[in-house]
Amino acid sequence: MEIVVCLKQVPASTRVRLNPATNTIVREGVELMLNPFDAYALEEALRLKENFGGQVTVLSMGIPSAEGILRQALGLGADRAVLLSDKRFAGADTLATARTLAAAVRKLGTVDLLLCGRQAVDGDTAQVGPSLAQKLDIPHLSAVRRVRLLGNRELLCEKMSDEGCLKIRLGLPALLTVVKEINTPRFLNLQGYLQSLRAQVEIWTADDLQLDPARIGLEGSATWVVSTAAADRRKTGKDIPGSPEEAAASILAALRQKGWSKPEREESRG
Amino acid sequence: MRLQLHTQADEIQPFLTDESSAAGRAEGIFFPQNEEEIREALKFCRENRKPVTIQGARTGITGGAVPSGGLLINLSRCSRALGMGWDEESQRFTLTVQPGMLFSQVQKGLAEKEFNTEGWSAESLRAYRRFGTAGRWHFPADITETSASIGGMLSTNASGAKSYLDGPMRAHVLGLRALLMDGRALVLRRGGQTARDGGFRLRLEDGSAIEGQLPGYRMPRVKNASGYSVAPDMDLLDLFIGAEGTLGVVTEITIALAPLPKLSWGILTFFEEPALALRYVQALKAIQGAHRPAAIEYFDRACLEMIHREQVETHAHLGLPLLPPAEAVYAEFRHPDQEEMDLCLHQTAGLLENAGANPAETWLAVTPQDLDKLIGFRHAVPESINRIIADRKREFPTLTKLGTDMAVPDDKLEWVLGLYTESIRALGLEGLKFGHIGDNHLHVNILPRSELEYQAGKALVLDWARQVIAAGGTVSAEHGIGKLKTAQLLAMYGEQAVAEMRALKRCFDPQGLLNPGNMFTLEGGA
Repeated sequence: MEIVVCLKQVPASTRVRLNPATNTIVREGVELMLNPFDAYALEEALRLKENFGGQVTVLSMGIPSAEGILRQALGLGADRAVLLSDKRFAGADTLATARTLAAAVRKLGTVDLLLCGRQAVDGDTAQVGPSLAQKLDIPHLSAVRRVRLLGNRELLCEKMSDEGCLKIRLGLPALLTVVKEINTPRFLNLQGYLQSLRAQVEIWTADDLQLDPARIGLEGSATWVVSTAAADRRKTGKDIPGSPEEAAASILAALRQKGWSKPEREESRG
Repeated sequence: MRLQLHTQADEIQPFLTDESSAAGRAEGIFFPQNEEEIREALKFCRENRKPVTIQGARTGITGGAVPSGGLLINLSRCSRALGMGWDEESQRFTLTVQPGMLFSQVQKGLAEKEFNTEGWSAESLRAYRRFGTAGRWHFPADITETSASIGGMLSTNASGAKSYLDGPMRAHVLGLRALLMDGRALVLRRGGQTARDGGFRLRLEDGSAIEGQLPGYRMPRVKNASGYSVAPDMDLLDLFIGAEGTLGVVTEITIALAPLPKLSWGILTFFEEPALALRYVQALKAIQGAHRPAAIEYFDRACLEMIHREQVETHAHLGLPLLPPAEAVYAEFRHPDQEEMDLCLHQTAGLLENAGANPAETWLAVTPQDLDKLIGFRHAVPESINRIIADRKREFPTLTKLGTDMAVPDDKLEWVLGLYTESIRALGLEGLKFGHIGDNHLHVNILPRSELEYQAGKALVLDWARQVIAAGGTVSAEHGIGKLKTAQLLAMYGEQAVAEMRALKRCFDPQGLLNPGNMFTLEGGA
């Protein structure tokens, strides 16, 4: 089975640190890591390969340093790694990203199964996987927690949903996004790591993919981020004395004072 | 008196134990917030002739913070950072904290570069501004229980896995302020006041001095947390580190910070046989210089089988792949750049292959997230042991944990491993060995299944202590003596040495009111 796993490099911390003297964001020492959900996708791909044979290719679009997570994947057992890196890819939204990844998957040739993490922990959109399937015109399932191969060309998947779990059969080729319940990712091992140091990570540019510059990167994006701000999570707690009833009454009074609650409605409910 | 003395039983009750599960008794408890209030509490104890036990975060496991009557001074509200400094000579930052500040709070403040700077001096604020743009720093003392307080760590000379490279708490303390039982204050700086030929004259803040003789015993040449640290010409700061609160109440501690290592990677390696694991450990220990490991830890097959069982039966330890039934050695390496790390890993691959392990079956943690999983595994071993003991206690209420903390000289490591294994096997007991094998310091735990086994286990631990002492080792390498291991301290140093320890304490606390019962009883005997 030919499996492609999409990997993304994300910041290792969601916390923005400010320089206490200048109140500016501290950028030095910001670590990057493999998107945690993608580790489950890679592990599932490696298990499928170990059980049914085939080849695992890992694919990422990102800055040159994203080679690190691809090399890590090679150390874990992936067979081939491709990094889509080109200044023209920069600033891509989920649509432009999916277009670029789709072009790369087409260039790879025959692919039976695409695996992605459920979402990236930086953007949190969960859109790239499904969007990529749409661009490739193949079926997809999101939030998959179990995969079984039925015969040669069909999967039985368990997909998590708000109501519980759906068991769904789908034919290959297909794309799945997976949740962390699906497996426990393995550790790197020393031999795999040392071998990965000599392994080749292929770098593909927009020219390699023969993509129209107007359809990729910031220019090809349908959405733009106007501004971002860090949520103020500092606790400004206050002790509210008294019995639970008294404390509840004080909280209610404080909320009303701030106009956060409508007295008439609250009282008519009571 | 402005400081409140809490005397209600329900206010005192939660503070009568520490993590040793030993339970004590007390008549009242103070929660001072600063040195002035500590002085006030001490004055009250002195005037009412009440013995007083000082508490930090009560994470100790030898009963050092457990009171045996009298009053308690709990320092958990003395938990502020008091200032920061930059030492030009050593090119490092220093941090001064109150004793009740937790290790985890210090690390969090350093990681997030955020401290409450209220009341800091202009010089401290200057250092703090510099720190804000100076990359990532940490406090390199290492302990397993991160909810310990800095004061507790100082008083027990705490250590952990990475003390193999970084040394115990002692190596990271630059100075302290303390109050003696009579209320006088003293300030000690590294290199400031020293003993001479076993005698000392310690100048106090008010210009007066305390004179006396240091105990004359020789410290074992191993990692050690048993008794006062003494040497004829010692730095008197070291006398207070590991003194288990018997000399004075530490009110401020200045610690040395270090740049956070750029790369910290860990490898868990599995072995078929203990002898092969030991061969790898000896090879790792032989590494000196830049490639010297930060930590070398060992887990016997029984430990891995215990965690494996929990993984299968209770789905505990999520995120950790299923452990194989094998002996395991964990090594951690730190390097400033990737090239050095890769060289070090090539070297390590050779070492573990020589010891019969398969590099393809190792677990290599290259990200902080993976490293946390391996550290979580290490932490899970003693916690699982505690759970098993708690379960069995329901059937045999008299059971307590039978765990050791002994260390031996380098050339006795193989001997002591054999001693533990053979004697556990000969008595048919259930036992596990794990811990800081890099320092020849293993925690052996016996899990008794009956009252009979419990008694046999207790006798066995005492027998080990005798043999380890005879081999030049120590009865406590990191947990300290507290109130639970005083008999072992006596066995280790002898009656004369303990009498000298008592005499030393009397120089600082003539009435014997401060932390009585820690390390030795004041009346004599064990």
